[in-house]
Amino acid sequence: MQPTVVAAATSSTTKRTPLRRLAVASTTACAKEASDYGKCIVATYTDVHKDTCKEEFDRFGACLRQTLKRRW
Amino acid sequence: MFAVRPRLPPLRSLASLSPAQINTVTQSPFRVFDRQAKRLQKDRAAARDWGNRSRTVDYVRDEVANRMIERFMDIKKNFSSILDLGSGPGHFSKLLELDRTQKVMMLDLSKLTVERDPDSEFEVQVERLVVDEEELLDAIPRNSQEAIVSCLSLHWVNDLPGVLVQIKEALKPDGVFMGAILGGDTLFELRTSLQLAEVEREGGISPHISPMADPRDMSSLMNRAGFTLLTVDVDEVKVAYPSMWELLDDLRDMGENNAIVGRRHLLHRDTLAAASAIYKELHGQEDGTVPATFQVIYLIGWKPAPQQPKPLERGSGKTSLKDVLE
Repeated sequence: MQPTVVAAATSSTTKRTPLRRLAVASTTACAKEASDYGKCIVATYTDVHKDTCKEEFDRFGACLRQTLKRRW
Repeated sequence: MFAVRPRLPPLRSLASLSPAQINTVTQSPFRVFDRQAKRLQKDRAAARDWGNRSRTVDYVRDEVANRMIERFMDIKKNFSSILDLGSGPGHFSKLLELDRTQKVMMLDLSKLTVERDPDSEFEVQVERLVVDEEELLDAIPRNSQEAIVSCLSLHWVNDLPGVLVQIKEALKPDGVFMGAILGGDTLFELRTSLQLAEVEREGGISPHISPMADPRDMSSLMNRAGFTLLTVDVDEVKVAYPSMWELLDDLRDMGENNAIVGRRHLLHRDTLAAASAIYKELHGQEDGTVPATFQVIYLIGWKPAPQQPKPLERGSGKTSLKDVLE
């Protein structure tokens, strides 16, 4: 049966929670690093194991930490 | 001596009530979901922002209720009362009209959810009951209902075959059950993204998305529960989100948080960020949104009754189909 797209949901969170800040950082400021990491996973997703894309993720993680000015 | 000041436990201590490990010796093998946690999650979702947050995420259930009422209208029968099992705030019941039924009885696990919307939004008379779907027969006598409907709630039930049997028992002979439940392909995008992120970042996976019913199994489950004249069909609702984060927010506001026994209460933020990146690259659409699939299985079954039409005995046919077709 033909699937139907109902509606594009809009962002419902307005409060600036820490998780929300992580969400914003990972989709805007670090979008390029996120995309590089995602592409690396997609290229190897039939055979992923720990740290397959460590290099890409390190860049993504560093960008997140820098944008949020926090370490974890 | 120490002055011991009595202190109330912090609210946080209520946050996680599930045992960390699944113990198959003390728990029934059917116990997959933490019903108490599910009740709390639904209560919280309905209470957040005076119910407004919960109202903005009604879109999936409203869409499925709309598709279900179409099927329901095809049953040319009038009912004096209908039981809505796992009704939520009444997505399906609100669509019922007076020419079909006088009254609807809404049952739900969560008190705040079932009482979210006022009676004025319903055309028919409403009665609300807070009952665990798994203990239906404790609240409803056997052979008492003309029709039972259930719209997107049975995916949190531990013992699905058992609940289907209870539904059949609660129906009068020739009573009808109509249900919509989520199928196994539901949220496969989120499931795969989280799994890939956990494997790559942490080296293992843990349950985040519930196991859900396989459409192929549903007709045999309905048969086993004793329903006849079955109809089972599968449909999909696809929703587009700006990113994985909005999907997670909306699922929580729907009260659909993870309630698997032995779930992890914490996801590392690296893993979450990784999952969001993978979601976008693996499933993202050209317009920049990410899709989420809800696979819905619609079920119709009747409780057997002597006066009901039945298929003829095997081998009793007198006309050969071959002759007709030639």
